[in-house]
Amino acid sequence: MSIGATHIDHVVIRSSDAAATAAHFSRLLDAPIRRRMTRPGTGAHLEFMKFGEIILEFAGPPQPAEGEPRAELAGFVLCVRDIHAAVRRLRELGYSVGDPKPAVQPGAAIATVRSGTHGVPFAIMQYGVYPTPTPREGEQR
Amino acid sequence: MKLLKIDHVGIVVRDLQEALATYERNFGLKADPSRGGEVPALGIRNAFVPVGESDLEFIQPTTDQGPVAEFARERGEGQFLLSLAVDDLQAAVQHLRALGYRVSDPNNGIAFVSPRATHGVNLQLVQRG
Repeated sequence: MSIGATHIDHVVIRSSDAAATAAHFSRLLDAPIRRRMTRPGTGAHLEFMKFGEIILEFAGPPQPAEGEPRAELAGFVLCVRDIHAAVRRLRELGYSVGDPKPAVQPGAAIATVRSGTHGVPFAIMQYGVYPTPTPREGEQR
Repeated sequence: MKLLKIDHVGIVVRDLQEALATYERNFGLKADPSRGGEVPALGIRNAFVPVGESDLEFIQPTTDQGPVAEFARERGEGQFLLSLAVDDLQAAVQHLRALGYRVSDPNNGIAFVSPRATHGVNLQLVQRG
């Protein structure tokens, strides 16, 4: 039985200095940074690039650590058709899964699968769960 | 250098068949039987699980040598590399080398960017087709 995964929505790179690592990857890969933001609640600094259908998310502390930036792959997020059904299914299988909550992506809900993923921090996500505000002119999503 | 998409996410696992069974049984993600297998030159066996336009690559070390075995020894299972598809691998390698980055020679349509050039992230470039 499936959780209804449609694609990888984003891959996370955790860095001691997310802005520096994102800028470095932008130069390295000749690709633009599409969005920058502070995560509500934690204050984490986030920057985003996009390749095909997948977002590359750079996540770091509110204030960059001193010294040379150090980064590592830190998980991925699968898009599912129905996040509530997927969470129910995974809980039936014995997985510890968080309740769906608003993601930083507008209108999206996200739930973290806490174990049983062969070492990969893993979350599931569904767009269009919550109402989204109308983007202001010139605002990038 | 033209990047086409994220080709795949590489995940190191202890037991390839067990990982594939978990992802198929519990998440509904099934390996493509036409790809993957033993790769003695890299000391691995692997399998690709399509998810949308990309794949998850599950990688099991088959020797004690090499970066995959080293990763497994030091960190156990986990996300190992990010693979980006490019339209022209030779051109991409030349472009990155011209910028001063260390990149391996292309081999079987694949090249690796030195982690020193990526703040520590294992980055692979691949040309399909």
